[in-house]
Amino acid sequence: MRQHLRAIRAATWLGWQIESNWTDPWLFFLYLVLKPLCASLLLWCMFVAARSMSAAVPGELLPFLYVGNACFMIVGGVAFGLSWVIISDREHYQMLKYIWISPLPLRSYLIGRALARSLQSAVGVVLTLAGGWLLLPELRSALTWERLDGRWLVAYLAVGVLMLGAVGMILAGAVLNLGRHSMLLSEGIAGLIYLLSGVVFPVEVLPEWLRPLCFFLPTTYWLEGVRRALMGGTTFGRALEGWSHGDLVSALLLSTALLLVVAHAVFRWNEQRAWRQGRVDQTTGV
Amino acid sequence: MKGAALFLRAMLARTYPRIIGTVRMPSWLLQETLLPLLSVSAYVFVYRAMNAPEECTGFVLLGGAMAAFWLNVLWSMGAQLYWERDSGNLELYIIAPCSMMAILGGMALGGMLLTLTRAAVILTAGSLLFGVRYHPSSWGMLAVVFLLTMLALYGLGMVFASAFLLWGREAWHTVSLLQEPVYLLSGLNFPVRAVFPPPVAWLASLIPLTVGMDALRQVLFPPSQGSGPSIPYILGLEAELGLLAVLSLAFLFLARYSLGHLERRSREEGRLTVRWQ
Repeated sequence: MRQHLRAIRAATWLGWQIESNWTDPWLFFLYLVLKPLCASLLLWCMFVAARSMSAAVPGELLPFLYVGNACFMIVGGVAFGLSWVIISDREHYQMLKYIWISPLPLRSYLIGRALARSLQSAVGVVLTLAGGWLLLPELRSALTWERLDGRWLVAYLAVGVLMLGAVGMILAGAVLNLGRHSMLLSEGIAGLIYLLSGVVFPVEVLPEWLRPLCFFLPTTYWLEGVRRALMGGTTFGRALEGWSHGDLVSALLLSTALLLVVAHAVFRWNEQRAWRQGRVDQTTGV
Repeated sequence: MKGAALFLRAMLARTYPRIIGTVRMPSWLLQETLLPLLSVSAYVFVYRAMNAPEECTGFVLLGGAMAAFWLNVLWSMGAQLYWERDSGNLELYIIAPCSMMAILGGMALGGMLLTLTRAAVILTAGSLLFGVRYHPSSWGMLAVVFLLTMLALYGLGMVFASAFLLWGREAWHTVSLLQEPVYLLSGLNFPVRAVFPPPVAWLASLIPLTVGMDALRQVLFPPSQGSGPSIPYILGLEAELGLLAVLSLAFLFLARYSLGHLERRSREEGRLTVRWQ
């Protein structure tokens, strides 16, 4: 256990250095703020443009999509960050083989690197929400201390990181055995989750035949829960309005437990396969 | 072989691996067409949730298609010399008896042709999926605007490429940083003047993507079409064409100058072969 914890700590430190020491701290801070803030403000611009052309734009949609988009950064950071670690360490820095032959357990190393990315994403989420709160009156009225439900927020964040970590492990395992298509896998799944989890629009807007898929994704429940914990009560979407916090967390716990078991088995199988087939040091020019 | 013939052959030689590489690995089509369609669809549904007019769906599809070119300029032009240095090809380019502008021109041509496929798929599939109709005021004008936008965009890409000769890991992050802020300023999914005040819109027009997309919207969604909403534009179409022409020339000259200057500096500072910085 101590060895795992030491590995996680060392990998987190390494991950943070890789992510942050390419420039001076001020420029890095600007990078942390500017990128996610602009991605969320893009949605605000669409909202303003739509309002200038039509009077039927619902005002409550703006906090819904802004907060959803900000929280999706955690999904990207944790779930897809893990597979990116495999790609960058194997293809770009060509260090994965050295990690492999070191006494460091690969899984703990990946968890540590994912923690560094989660930290970076969490900072991005906080800064994006703070930026939106300062710039947009609609967000100011939706994000208030009275509406914030701190206990549920902590619960959602804790379960969410576990759930996303499990998804990340499954993807990282698959990426270990993929060459040129590794980016396709993680970007494809990221795109699907963005489209089907009700990140920036309520799932009722999707065509009817696509909606059942949304309810298979734990991220749909997680985003709804986080939004409710931040903005209070039910949010703009109507698909999960009958679900209480307890229902959402129970669904999340169940799916997370299942995902953790699957992630453990899938990663172990892929790890062995990659080792047997000599894929640990392959470079494909991705 | 000298002069223009050498330039042209070097350019075509650098175009060749881009084209042939993708022919040999057709799965790129999936990555280059299906994935962007997912994010484009998400933005279309955002406008649907807002009950926005149908033109907005067209803006999103156009934005998705043009974003493909911007991404190609950033990752396959700007950051390309950084990747080439990591894979050990950069020194071969430098010692080759042809101009670096020819190599970059070849990258641009190959990238543009492939990205055209991605853009065409986004526009065609998106239009079929979401029932968008375009009413171009003039096909000739559409072609001129598009070509000038490409020239200005890839000229800017060459400027980036020269800057990245000096940079290491920061190149990757800088490219990454140039995505979302530029999407925002260029009005990727919305008309810039519907959101930003004139000074901000004029400043944003220095990015070829901004003025190119604004001009393309003017041609594809002309105000005379039916009872659609009135869409504000940054400048008139002729003025935007003029601006695109000026930007194209300016970026190409700047690229030529900065490539020479930064290549010399990289040699002096010994950065041309430093890997994994």
